[in-house]
Amino acid sequence: MTAAAISTEHLTRRFGNLLAVDDVDLQVASGQFFGFLGPNGAGKSTTIKMLTGLLAPSSGRIEILGLGLAENPVEVKRQIGVVPEGMALFGRLTGAEYLNFAGRMYGLDRQTAAQRAAELLEFMQLADQPKTLVTDYSHGMQKKLALAAAVIHNPKILFLDEPFEGVDAIASGTLKAMLQRMISRGATIFLTSHVLEIVERLCSHVAIIHRGKLVAQGSLEELRAGVEAQAADALAANGVAGSAVTPSAQKLTLEQIFLRIVGGAQPTERELSWLG
Amino acid sequence: MARLIISPEARGQLSAIAQVRWRLFVNSLRSIHGRVELFSRAFIGLGFAVVGFGGAFGLGAGAAFFISSDRAEWLALLLWPVFMFWQLFPVLATAFTENFDSSNLLRFPLSYPSYFAIRLAYGSFDPATALGVLWLSAMALGIGSARPDLFPWAALVLIVFGMLNILTGRVIFAWVERWLARRRTREILGVVFFLIIISFQFIGPLVNHYGEGPRPVPGHLLVRLLPLERLLPPGLAAAAIAEATRAQFKSAFGALLLLGSYGFVIAWLLHLRLRAQYRGENLSEAAKRSTSLAEKLPIRLGWKLPGFSSPVAAIFEKEFRYLSRSGPMLFTMIMPVVVLMIFRLTPSTSGSGDGFLVRAPDLAFPAGAAYALLVLTNLVYNNFGPDASGIQFFFAAPVRFRDILLAKNLVHAAVLALEASLVWLAVCFVFRRPSLDVTMATLAGLLFALLVNLTAGNMLSLSSPKKIDFGTFGRQRASNTTVFASFAVQIAVFGLAALTFLAARRHGQIWLATLIFFGLAAVAGAVYALALSRADNIAMARRETLIAELSRA
Repeated sequence: MTAAAISTEHLTRRFGNLLAVDDVDLQVASGQFFGFLGPNGAGKSTTIKMLTGLLAPSSGRIEILGLGLAENPVEVKRQIGVVPEGMALFGRLTGAEYLNFAGRMYGLDRQTAAQRAAELLEFMQLADQPKTLVTDYSHGMQKKLALAAAVIHNPKILFLDEPFEGVDAIASGTLKAMLQRMISRGATIFLTSHVLEIVERLCSHVAIIHRGKLVAQGSLEELRAGVEAQAADALAANGVAGSAVTPSAQKLTLEQIFLRIVGGAQPTERELSWLG
Repeated sequence: MARLIISPEARGQLSAIAQVRWRLFVNSLRSIHGRVELFSRAFIGLGFAVVGFGGAFGLGAGAAFFISSDRAEWLALLLWPVFMFWQLFPVLATAFTENFDSSNLLRFPLSYPSYFAIRLAYGSFDPATALGVLWLSAMALGIGSARPDLFPWAALVLIVFGMLNILTGRVIFAWVERWLARRRTREILGVVFFLIIISFQFIGPLVNHYGEGPRPVPGHLLVRLLPLERLLPPGLAAAAIAEATRAQFKSAFGALLLLGSYGFVIAWLLHLRLRAQYRGENLSEAAKRSTSLAEKLPIRLGWKLPGFSSPVAAIFEKEFRYLSRSGPMLFTMIMPVVVLMIFRLTPSTSGSGDGFLVRAPDLAFPAGAAYALLVLTNLVYNNFGPDASGIQFFFAAPVRFRDILLAKNLVHAAVLALEASLVWLAVCFVFRRPSLDVTMATLAGLLFALLVNLTAGNMLSLSSPKKIDFGTFGRQRASNTTVFASFAVQIAVFGLAALTFLAARRHGQIWLATLIFFGLAAVAGAVYALALSRADNIAMARRETLIAELSRA
């Protein structure tokens, strides 16, 4: 049996009295396109920061490709690529200089770093502004550049925190094409996103975190089956039998699954009665 | 306008802003870093208090003396320094100034008069304004003690003068910030600003230098400029009070009116800027798209640094590129040479004759080199400030922090070596070639001081980082803790180095200073290596603070 690409045991993070991530056991197999979902403040970004070494866990263990992150931080970081929340760009370099720099920081030789930087700029449609500093790039251009920097060393695992936030349809298409290509070549991708349609279309496996706890994990089909079974159990418990318990012909969307698991409360008439 | 400012809605908004500022301050004390900052701020505040009350005593006594000796026009001699300090200090010492980010407020339904009032009010809470008001109050009291009947008029004139200073300060900030919003104008402004500072430095020496000749031309020039001076705010304020002492109330009132009209013009300039901000001007820079493939640059290889790993070379290259794109920073690099020129032109303060370095030219190289190191501390003590959110890249990359700091320190050392060479050449041309023993002692002392500063700088950069935003003006470039600590380090290092060098020089044994400095450098080098080896642990322990502080919007 091969080691999981990402594995956590009892991963916990506290901020003072707040338990941001609570005893999370996560398993992501190699080659999976993994979506990590949760409502705002659920602990998604905290988890991804811990998985990439940007934040220390309060307790628990993280293994990436079978290596303990705490014991082998440098070796683990060599195998992964990261696009964190703030994109981690160096504003006063040009795009080419930044990618060149990123490649060499990940151990590429000068020739390879420069060659890949040029190819990535071309692929991301950033090559026609060679003298523009990163600080003068638009938000979408910066997102593309951050992704290019994260993949320049051909990582085995790619961590993306909200990669499609603030990105237009064209840039989004470019990013998706690149990610699909990486998956087809055996890489593992771990992404957080609020855009559930994109996650549903791209990801083979999903985990949902809510109030710091992992509340669901599996393939989309497994999650769907789980939710439908739960609904059937609930109906059966209420004495509804027969055809009413049978799953509907139309598949539940990821958004429906998400809402059923997380339980989005609908406002009552009395709440915010002054609004509108 | 006043009616709108005090409307219930505006009052509520102003009170909410004051409350939010207070909560931000209180919340900042939750962290140890915030409490240390408060302590540093209090300590720096103590320094300001000493300067403020000392200045107030001097200015009050001076004003009383001029009035009682019937030389009221000479009040301009006191008002000019107050005016210059009030306007230049916030620009020169941005570490102590807090400017205002209006973009946060513009989303709220704030009326324009309220917005104007808030921007103006912010100008009333910086050290320059506090000291300026204190000094003007002291002058009013001084005048009142000499001529009690003159007090109400003098107080009125000085209030108008103070208001004008507040308005002028706000205008300078508002317009400079507008120019800083674009990278290109920002760099041009940085260079212009630097040249202005340099030219200020030369005024005194040049006047003294040429004033000593048989035909003191600049002296004549100053006499010719006096009528112009009387038309400028400090001269007008002095004239308004002086005319009143002679019961020339018509002239006094005319001078005050002119002073007030300056205030209106400046308020109008401020209004132009603030109204544009209020209407939501967009100063962002859109990237220019190349239209032809020919403009695409060829593939360029990164730099190679013999003896160092690829990541160290990459960071070294990145740091140099950052430095080369910071116009103002580059210009400060030639400051040591400029200072040497100033010293060459400055005559002795104790009377006629040549200045200190002309009489002791063997001290020119050590003095210039010491100044070069001081300039370098701008870079050393907030290593990660310019990287901003790029700090996350360093934490995510498979590189040790010891290598990152080593690469940054190599750049610092290279810059200092370049600067020391420039200073040495300048000393050769401006004074005389430094002797070999002085050169060796200076270089050894520089090595020691550099290692101490790099060690302290690395530790402070990790423990007390501050994001440097090139697009804003008047926001701190380093934390108060860093300013305070680096000041203490400079006093200790330069004190020790100066004592050692001067003692050796006195006994004619400069080589002894070289030996001592090399010994000290060896110890400092060992401490530096030890601190560097612990950099990873410190960075990992401080990563949350580093990322949060440097990635904040």
